[in-house]
Amino acid sequence: MSDFTTTIAVSLLLLAPLVAGGLSLLLTGSRWLHVTNLTSIGTLVTAEVMIARAVLAQGSLTALGEIIYIDALSSLILFIIGTVGLACSLYMRSYMDEQVARGVIAPKRLNLFFFLFHMFLLAMVTATVANSLGVQWVAIEATTLATTFLIAFWRRRESLEAGWKYLILCSVGISLALFGVVLMYYSSLRVLGDVSSALNITQLEQVAEQLDPHILKLAFVFLFVGYGTKVGLVPMHSWLPDAYTEAPAPVAAMLAGVLETVAVYAILRCRSIVDQSVPPDFSGGLLAVFGLVSFALAAFFILVQHNYKRLFAYSSIEHMGLAMVGFGAGGPIGSFGGLFHLVNHAFAKSLAFFAAGNIHRRFKTVEIDQVRGLTTVLPWSALALLIAGLALSALPPFALFASELQIITALGSSGLPSEWTQSNTGFPVVVLLFCSLVAFGGLLYRITDMALGAAPKDVVTGEQWSVGHVPIILLGAVLVGFCWALPLPLQQLFEAASTLLVNR
Amino acid sequence: MPLMTPPIGSQLVDLGSALLLLTCFGIVAQRRLSACVDLFALQSVFLSLTVTLVAFLTGVHHIYIAAALTIIIKAIVIPRILKKVIERLNVSRELVMNINVPASLLISGLLVMVAFLITQPIIPFGHLLTRDSLAIALAIVLIGFFTMIARQKAVTQMIAFLVMENGLFLGATAATYGMPLIVELGVFFDVLVAALIAGIYTNRLQDAFDSVDTAHLSELRE
Amino acid sequence: MLDVFLLILMQTVVLLAAAPLSVGLIRKVKARLQCRQGASVIQPYADLVKLFRKQPVISSTASWIFTATPYILFASTLAAGLLVPVFISRTPLSFAGNIIALVYLLALGTFFLMLAGLDAGSPFGGMGSSREAIVASLTEPAMMLSIFAIALTAGSTNLSTIVHKTALLEGIVTDPSPHLMAFAALVIVAIAETGRVPVDNPATHLELTMIHEAMILEYSGRYLALVEWAAGLKLLVFLTLIANVSAPWGIATSMEPAALGIGLAAYLLKVSGLAVLIGILESMFAKLRLFRVTDLLGAAFILALLGLIFFYVLRG
Repeated sequence: MSDFTTTIAVSLLLLAPLVAGGLSLLLTGSRWLHVTNLTSIGTLVTAEVMIARAVLAQGSLTALGEIIYIDALSSLILFIIGTVGLACSLYMRSYMDEQVARGVIAPKRLNLFFFLFHMFLLAMVTATVANSLGVQWVAIEATTLATTFLIAFWRRRESLEAGWKYLILCSVGISLALFGVVLMYYSSLRVLGDVSSALNITQLEQVAEQLDPHILKLAFVFLFVGYGTKVGLVPMHSWLPDAYTEAPAPVAAMLAGVLETVAVYAILRCRSIVDQSVPPDFSGGLLAVFGLVSFALAAFFILVQHNYKRLFAYSSIEHMGLAMVGFGAGGPIGSFGGLFHLVNHAFAKSLAFFAAGNIHRRFKTVEIDQVRGLTTVLPWSALALLIAGLALSALPPFALFASELQIITALGSSGLPSEWTQSNTGFPVVVLLFCSLVAFGGLLYRITDMALGAAPKDVVTGEQWSVGHVPIILLGAVLVGFCWALPLPLQQLFEAASTLLVNR
Repeated sequence: MPLMTPPIGSQLVDLGSALLLLTCFGIVAQRRLSACVDLFALQSVFLSLTVTLVAFLTGVHHIYIAAALTIIIKAIVIPRILKKVIERLNVSRELVMNINVPASLLISGLLVMVAFLITQPIIPFGHLLTRDSLAIALAIVLIGFFTMIARQKAVTQMIAFLVMENGLFLGATAATYGMPLIVELGVFFDVLVAALIAGIYTNRLQDAFDSVDTAHLSELRE
Repeated sequence: MLDVFLLILMQTVVLLAAAPLSVGLIRKVKARLQCRQGASVIQPYADLVKLFRKQPVISSTASWIFTATPYILFASTLAAGLLVPVFISRTPLSFAGNIIALVYLLALGTFFLMLAGLDAGSPFGGMGSSREAIVASLTEPAMMLSIFAIALTAGSTNLSTIVHKTALLEGIVTDPSPHLMAFAALVIVAIAETGRVPVDNPATHLELTMIHEAMILEYSGRYLALVEWAAGLKLLVFLTLIANVSAPWGIATSMEPAALGIGLAAYLLKVSGLAVLIGILESMFAKLRLFRVTDLLGAAFILALLGLIFFYVLRG
């Protein structure tokens, strides 16, 4: 692919959400808003496919005068943003229109919703393709600012509370990450001299081995804590269940599926630089320990949930923790497993939130106890819920089982990559297995409870077909399909990305 | 041609950073919200002066832009927004705190020590002019972080967040004579938007809860 | 030997003479800021003369402590004053003690005053004493730490050495930050120790708020005169300490008459400046509730601590 087409593709990637966001404020009528939205996301996906092909052909690419840097890893993240974004956009077509029709929101506020949604997309895409760690930070903070009103969109007391919590916690966390970025710049300036590109990934990768390990260690701790807040790692996770419960279903799907993944990406990016100077055990140990703690704690919270949206939220913390363990354990298996887990989780979790959105609209409650007989009330959504639930509980035929197995294998072969647990490789594996059993049981129990049983009498049965069902079916199909075969280009992308994570 | 010799210059930079830290403690000790906002504005002025001094001594010109932005955004615009919010909310002081003032002050003092300990190994790598400011900057960040936990009023939490940002900016200037301009502009933009959003939020919280005490924000539990 | 006696004499005279003046000056500044004419600056002298002439009345329950306290208080405060360089960097009693002695001499006076407050048997006296105990126990660490921060920069706990070195620019210019912190802490300590607003209000006899005035409520006649004079002296000692430790420039470093003259003039200028500052501060702030005083003194303590930390780090 020539430079020219690369430039076009990258520009499309950034311009599509920007233009669509601007148009969203001007247009009237929900139909046009949806058309703009779908066009924009379609453009985004097309651009991503072009870029992914280029990346597969030439390894990595820079564009727009080194402002943009894309390799297999960022390309993979872009793929998640695009696919989940497309699914959300389709789902929103029926979901948001119904909310307007029911008078929950004024039609005018739809403009604001789409504007924020596109800004959110733009910020995430920017965070993924930015060459400069500083710009990446700015973009990730921008995701916080864009989504805080999306979370509080219903303007109920609870949603305001959730939004405020999210804003404050994430802003504070991200501020700590900025300190990490400052330290990173501090270390690279010493090697590169006073140049404005000293925060660029391309530059940093070249001189990474000469950077001072002391500064990098400190920088990575700050970056990890900061972006870890965004990922929702314990103990900085407390905003997450509230935000996912209160946000409109498509927004929750985007948060759980994509935003977390982008934050993980930011951590991995910084890590690949840090690891060239600091022994990889340092960052690996940090990732694996925090991941394991998050995984274990979330597993027990899953067991005691009475609210299905919170259930999925804690399941997010759990899976992100697991992916972190995979990246922390490292090696080809762990890295591949972590990435594969991220992708599968993004699909399964957005599917789960679509189903949850449908259930909430019909049952008007988020209590698990009051939702019964889903298979008769909403058969399609019940199917989606079951697929998502079984996938999320990592039941064997699903791809999440495969990735979980890879992660456990990686952990079992290398142990926690840190000095203080080197002698005892078995223990973390046992903890991991036990907690995954707990989470498996908890999730499956709640989901089957909701799906089966006799429906409450005051709930209307039967499911109307709508555009919103297209993404549900597609995602369900993908989740089932991924257990059998990964399309070849995607597999190549995965392999290239995990090689990037391993080769340092 | 630098007019001052580095030792006096670096002492002045240290002094400026110390003043920043002093206002930080003022905010920790202060219960009156409007006084907190004033202290924050004062801190931003000190920040801007210190940063200007660094720009003057080093001849790095883009720091001047950041200094000017600091004055405009952090010393004028954001304090105005916060004052408006306080006026609208009709709350003047923080009565109940999670951690009382003397204890907060002590903990903040400890945090300063922690900051110095953490930065000890990396300080020798810094520029001679500003190397001590990095520790102070980290101290300000940590104190801001702590204040956020210690206070309950939404406005104070917002001020604490902004104090953290001030510390970060001082750190960026101290460690590296400023980040690349595009990053700095982005950070300013983010901070401004965050302040605006928080302003809108406090209004909505007031409408919904008749209070901006975040202690009331406890409807979402396990 | 002779010049030591001469020095003691000169410093005693200056301190005793200037003490009521500083009180008068603060009152005048406050009056002017409240748009009042106010009493003359030399009114405190007239008050003292009047009180010395009056017959003291002593409570029948009072013990010897009550009558001895004014003398102990006066003597200890004066002795403390002689440990501080006033207009010459040498101090008359520098052979006898250092900063720590100064702090304890001042504390000795406070201690006896508290005892006397309890001794008279009036409820107000006891109340005042207990409040004074709170304030004193909180100010002392802050005061010690702040002086230590300054002492470290000069490398000595002897005030005379500290001031001498600082006056000759051997200390302060290399480290403005610890000095700044210590100075801020010392100002707060001085305000608390000398019973000024916002910790205590010297102009009130309202039972709910008074601290110092409650302790000395039972005194009259020459005893009251001594206590008031000692209070003025204590204020002056603190002002001197702040002025000379943080900005000793102009102070005489030798016994030459010309240097002494300049030193005295500079001293009076600095101390009056500080007195005016305190007058302005008192007019700006309202008195704090007793339980909020801890906030202020906590701040002073932390400031002093920061001064110390800064010293070590910047010297690092």
